[in-house]
Amino acid sequence: MGRRKKIVQECERLMDNPEHIRNIAIAAHVDHGKTTLSDNLLAGAGMISQDTAGEQLAMDTKEDEQERGITIDAANVSMTHEYEDTNHLINLIDTPGHVDFGGDVTRAMRAVDGALVVVDAVEGAMPQTETVLRQALREGVKPTLFINKVDRLISELQEGPQEMQERLLSVIADVNELIRGMAENMDDIPEDWTVSVEDGTVGFGSALYKWGVSMPSMQRTGMDFGDIMELEQNDKRDELHERTPLSTVVLDMVCEHFPNPVDAQPRRVPRIWRGDPDSTLAEGMQLVDEDGEVVFMVTDISMDPHAGEIATGRVFSGTLEKGQELYVSGTAGKNRIQSVGLFMGSEREEVEHVPAGNIASVTGLRDAIAGSTVSSVEMTPFESIEHISEPVITKSVEAQSMDDLPKLIETLQQVAKEDPTIQIEINEDTGEHLISGQGELHLEVITQRIRDNQGIPVITGEPIVVFREQPQEASREVEGQSPNRHNKFYLTVEPMAQDIVDAIQLGEVSMDMPELERREALQEAGMDKDTSQNVEDIHRTNILIDDTKGIQHLNETMELVLEGLQEALDDGPLAAEPVQGSLFRLHDAKLHEDTIHRGPAQVIPAVRDAVHRALIDGEVRLLEPIQDVRIDVPSEHMGAASGEIQGRRGRVDDMYQEGDLMVVEGIAPVEEMIGFSSDIRSATEGRASWNTENAGFRVLVDNLQREKIMEIRERKGMKLELPSSIDYI
Amino acid sequence: MLTFIGLGLYDERSITVEGREALRSADRVFAEFYTSRLVGADVDDLEAAHGVDVEVRDREGVERDPEPILTAAETGDAAFLTAGDTMISTTHADLRLRAESRGIDTRVIHGVTAQSAASSLTGLQNYRFGKAVTLPFPYAHGGDDVPSSVRETIEANRERGLHTVVYLDIKVGTGPSGPDPDHEEYMTADYAAGLLADGWRDELAVVVARAGSPDPVVAADRLSALAEREFGDPLHTLVIPGDLHHVEAEALVGLAGAPESILEE
Repeated sequence: MGRRKKIVQECERLMDNPEHIRNIAIAAHVDHGKTTLSDNLLAGAGMISQDTAGEQLAMDTKEDEQERGITIDAANVSMTHEYEDTNHLINLIDTPGHVDFGGDVTRAMRAVDGALVVVDAVEGAMPQTETVLRQALREGVKPTLFINKVDRLISELQEGPQEMQERLLSVIADVNELIRGMAENMDDIPEDWTVSVEDGTVGFGSALYKWGVSMPSMQRTGMDFGDIMELEQNDKRDELHERTPLSTVVLDMVCEHFPNPVDAQPRRVPRIWRGDPDSTLAEGMQLVDEDGEVVFMVTDISMDPHAGEIATGRVFSGTLEKGQELYVSGTAGKNRIQSVGLFMGSEREEVEHVPAGNIASVTGLRDAIAGSTVSSVEMTPFESIEHISEPVITKSVEAQSMDDLPKLIETLQQVAKEDPTIQIEINEDTGEHLISGQGELHLEVITQRIRDNQGIPVITGEPIVVFREQPQEASREVEGQSPNRHNKFYLTVEPMAQDIVDAIQLGEVSMDMPELERREALQEAGMDKDTSQNVEDIHRTNILIDDTKGIQHLNETMELVLEGLQEALDDGPLAAEPVQGSLFRLHDAKLHEDTIHRGPAQVIPAVRDAVHRALIDGEVRLLEPIQDVRIDVPSEHMGAASGEIQGRRGRVDDMYQEGDLMVVEGIAPVEEMIGFSSDIRSATEGRASWNTENAGFRVLVDNLQREKIMEIRERKGMKLELPSSIDYI
Repeated sequence: MLTFIGLGLYDERSITVEGREALRSADRVFAEFYTSRLVGADVDDLEAAHGVDVEVRDREGVERDPEPILTAAETGDAAFLTAGDTMISTTHADLRLRAESRGIDTRVIHGVTAQSAASSLTGLQNYRFGKAVTLPFPYAHGGDDVPSSVRETIEANRERGLHTVVYLDIKVGTGPSGPDPDHEEYMTADYAAGLLADGWRDELAVVVARAGSPDPVVAADRLSALAEREFGDPLHTLVIPGDLHHVEAEALVGLAGAPESILEE
């Protein structure tokens, strides 16, 4: 029997014992060494050869990942580890660190109970470190810390023990400050989740040279920091690895400090599921009951050339088995499970069944998307896995040959299924489809995969930035009239408070939740009581309040009113870009006596008209996406680096020294940031490292408004003439 | 001058003599058939019978872009045609008001409408009708049953002992999945009776089919029984009687084949 087969058998044996299971994710800022660390763990568990760990990047299974040297998809692997004489099953997800793929990280967090956050000792906590910590805590996932690349402090930067200790402690302090700040508002996280060396929730080491230490490991091996520095300085890294291997240190930490599903689910379930807490379903999930109803949350969809579409996720209750007929949230009917398996790196191993508390990958769930709730009885779905950043960049994709069109459409739909942070707009008339995503790299990867993996030759357009429209002040009451002039709607709009917009974006407020709960959440975000009771619709980050009283037939017409509202909000009045952050109030409506004269052809245009009039009266303006930019650069190139931000309509907010480098921080419009990577490289002779993070939308400066609006209208084939009521731009 | 001319109920000969004269002398003739249509004649028949060119406008072309009609009326004699009467059901009062406000003279020449046929063919007295309603196709109002306003209107009429004319939905140019120039769908009385029997109550009702044609059908029975029958070509209308005067009850039995039991109620 092969080694791999043995591991699979051992995993199967351990699956039934939730106390000995740990579901964990490794997350970090890009290039801080997550994937190299994962390889160490795999090697430690005997799944890949020790010699190749660190170079193999076994978790980066796709060709483009190995080429680009970054992780793009979250990858799953199961392994076993013996800790305190008991064998443990560890289900591990390696997540991407590049900001463009943040959606994968959020989804991975739903499946796990612990997050090993990796931080580069030289760079310290970086923007994505903060993001992954927030994603973890929001899902009720407990963090621990591994400080990587300590070898560089010793060998490269030649730091002494004192200096090194200070640096490591400051990294820990930074991370703890982030954790404290976030945990403050989460009363359901009972214990103090900050990390500390004494408790053993912090590890140090070098994933590249495969050694690591922690307080418990030092006690066990008797090696102190002095011994380690000596061996590292004398280039005796193999000995270091042998005496204190990274995988043991980290996997011990995982087993000791991460909660098992039985501990974690009672706390996590109320946080991610809003169903009845006293139901048997809730009980099954809290108790991790393998005999309960099946509840499976899909966190990832991937394609396998042999098995087809694979849905991976967390089994919260019950046991997944081949042949089960399961409900998929948001769709009618049931799907039949064709096979059940575990992921072992790039390969999937089929097993008989996967019980509650595990991460499973199944085939046959053709209706599932990343984020679906799959269950044996119909149930309230899990909270949607909201990834806070909306798509900011769009690219058109066209099949080179018309024959490939059906295949391209199918592939695009598949792409949207696999990655909900991608938005696809299919235009069968022009054949020019639009893909929107988190950034240039995100779209490049997607289109390359369509080209290479599906073998569809495509023509892609230049990346285009996505804009938004938002009113800048409260409007007067405006009237919208139906074409037959028998129906009238009276509306106002005002810009919505940012706290409420945030609450919607975070998924804390939605139309899917019970009304009472929504009311409370809105009031908590600052909405007054009366207003919160009259919420009729939430569309994107806009809300409609029904302030009317007792208008006959309005109830029956409301569906159409909402249709008109949503159409108007999807295509704003300036450039048909989406409207955001607006609070509409319906004050009055005049309706025709007969349904047929207040049908869709009448009500939808009337409401659309009223919404656009209100927006224009509220001085709607174009908003563009912006990014936070951070550049680390040697001081001699600092001028060039800040020039790169300022030359892009950007703003430098801060410049300070950190170690031997200067840090330049600022913001710049996403549109101007297209092509930034090659420019900054040449401006700084390749010495800069940088990070960008989408930071929402900002009103475009006045003197560019008209020009940009016309540019978009022209691109979309709209009239190059604004309504005369738009006289303020 | 803008003359609104009702074409009446059935074919090119249902127009009044006065209407025919006004139509033949107009410089330009516009028409809309999205509200209703003449089942016994198409536009070619109209044109041939009256020796005119008819410009058919869709809903957009009347409601959103009435300019060509108004311009023609400003510079000459324009006629605007609909089936039935131009001011009943889809009231074109709005178009008339727009014309008047531009100083265009207007005139209305009446046509016979389904409302009057509903009363005259069934023997139900016109004094005793309440509000009328249209029963829309389920897909057209976003629900999957009878809209509550339809049920409420019938109920409110019946509380006061009044009859209700239920117009049946017509979809021309718009189908279940949006605009579709080839779409043409007329709700039949049996279908409507089925909707009401399920979505409201199984009461006595009267079908009026092809009013104004040589072979009109009038049939009274319970909704569930009407739902099982077929009434042939469009257009159909349904009447839900309220309290029956004894002569009305006799008329329903004698002219519409209603069960004799209603005479005792």
